[in-house]
Amino acid sequence: MSTTATAYLTGFGRYLPGDPVDNDGIAARLGGDDPVTERIRRRVLEANGIRQRHYALDEHGEPTELNEELAVKALQAALEDRGIAASDLRMLACATTMGDVLVPGFASMVHGRLGGGPMQLLSASGVCASSLAALDAAVSKIRLGDHPRAAVVGSELASRSLRQRRFDGIRAGMDSHFLRWMLSDGAGAAIVEFQPHPTKPSLRVDWVRHVSLAHEHDVCMRAGMSGPEAVVGSTWQDGDIADAEARGMFLLRQDIGMLDDLATAGIRQFEELVDIGLVDVRHLDHVVCHYSTNVFRDVAFDALRRRIPTLDTDRWFSNLETRGNTGSASIFIALEEAWRTGRFAPGETVLLAVPESGRFSFAFAHLTVVSPPPPPAGMAPPVQQGAPT
Amino acid sequence: MTTSTTTAPADVLTAGARTVSERLADVWTDFEERLAHVPVLSRLTEGTVTLEDYRRLLFNLRQQVVDGSPWISRAASNFDIDHFELRAAAIRHAEEEHRDYLMIERDYVAIGGSLEELRAGRKNVGSEALSGYMFHCADQPNPVGLLGAMFIIEGLGARRAAGWAARFQEVLGLADSQVHFMRYHQEADAQHTGGLDAILTSGMIDDTAADEIVRCAEVVARLYALQLEELDR
Repeated sequence: MSTTATAYLTGFGRYLPGDPVDNDGIAARLGGDDPVTERIRRRVLEANGIRQRHYALDEHGEPTELNEELAVKALQAALEDRGIAASDLRMLACATTMGDVLVPGFASMVHGRLGGGPMQLLSASGVCASSLAALDAAVSKIRLGDHPRAAVVGSELASRSLRQRRFDGIRAGMDSHFLRWMLSDGAGAAIVEFQPHPTKPSLRVDWVRHVSLAHEHDVCMRAGMSGPEAVVGSTWQDGDIADAEARGMFLLRQDIGMLDDLATAGIRQFEELVDIGLVDVRHLDHVVCHYSTNVFRDVAFDALRRRIPTLDTDRWFSNLETRGNTGSASIFIALEEAWRTGRFAPGETVLLAVPESGRFSFAFAHLTVVSPPPPPAGMAPPVQQGAPT
Repeated sequence: MTTSTTTAPADVLTAGARTVSERLADVWTDFEERLAHVPVLSRLTEGTVTLEDYRRLLFNLRQQVVDGSPWISRAASNFDIDHFELRAAAIRHAEEEHRDYLMIERDYVAIGGSLEELRAGRKNVGSEALSGYMFHCADQPNPVGLLGAMFIIEGLGARRAAGWAARFQEVLGLADSQVHFMRYHQEADAQHTGGLDAILTSGMIDDTAADEIVRCAEVVARLYALQLEELDR
């Protein structure tokens, strides 16, 4: 028989670069102010419901920060929230869709900038659900007792590849415009420990589950390939870089025709969690769900309501409309805000849900709010407790 | 002290004097009573023990455990050829123990402690007394009495350590890999105490040796408890 420790989320942080940008401020940063693009943008924004977001770009569209800087600032906020230093961490798990550089791994760059001491690193790549893949890794190592403290961060700086210069002269349909006017920048972080916060409530991680259905689905979201199939000799790395760019291989694209299937598959995954008892619908108090657009909020919410008739809308949390869709950072940015604004009370449960369109991945985490432990009663100096003489 | 080849049958010994094993069992009973009053252990029993208690316990144990193998080695070097079996046993035992402190260090780091601070630590007053006494005994020619020290220390590992580990895990929510040292000692020390029992009943121990063994066990039991009482002092 082996015994594991328990993992608790004890500190939360986020970093959103610059001032919030409303819908009228997007074009100044990303370009695309011709009438056709303008029309597309308005249509996409109407569908996704995002009212403001943040970009690590100045008002002329020039980058102001690195992705690794966003990650470090979110981590520093989480460390400060917990009241510990980077040197207290023994593991750092980073999720991002694209780091600043091709090599080395994103986590190495974040660790280098963050500082602290020697630690285990994980760079989880992928798209949105890499966030919970990173969380799962950190939680697992904490539960094994291998590390006392870890940090997890999801971080994205998509904006620089959404600027007009990437689109000039390239055939870009709705598959790239949909994401262009949806994605934005930011980072969210959490501290994971084997003990709850000594004086404040914590979120106990009950389980994390990550499922890929890539075996039965084609690629939905892509960059670096010219079509939905990766073909030998024709990825962005195989030929001339300028040629790859001219063919639009550096645009992030999403086959929006597959998104209904994604929603259906995600709901099926949730139903399975209920059916196998991982989610007890009678005791599920909060849902924090990542979704790309408000269209899917309604689809997902209806599905949840079928299984949890008592779930009303105020138990459902998302900050998509005000913080934007920040990919792998989204779930942590939403969790941080829900936590900081006091939505959760001790004893309540929280389901995190992150569907990823990339090639159909679904990640969930189940959390329970726990009170701080009672102050130690038996802490009088040992000699006063009457050692026999 | 010398290995006896004319030991009376066990039933004759028990009829007159008490066997060394019986006398050690009494020492053990007293020791357990004393341990029950050691603050950190009574908090462990009550379930009020804290992570800080466990951290301090590891910190304090480590400073004495690093000396465990050296005193056994020194004892080994002081057994003459007439005590070859005991010398061989001590050499084996020293080899088995001399990396034990690394397990404490792993556990200490796994619960968030700093290795630098742990390694910079010093013995508490109980550990000083215990370690000093062990080296003193080990310096004597043919230090058979140290079997009494083994009886206490290995007995603690075999009979108590795993229970402590399980209770620390239960109260503090620790993983197995955060209580290596205590879990390991259940198995390892059970082997050692088995070996000790074999020596005690082998006929190698005469009356003088038996007295030395029991006296050493009494002193070590008291000093070991003192080590646990005097955490950080």
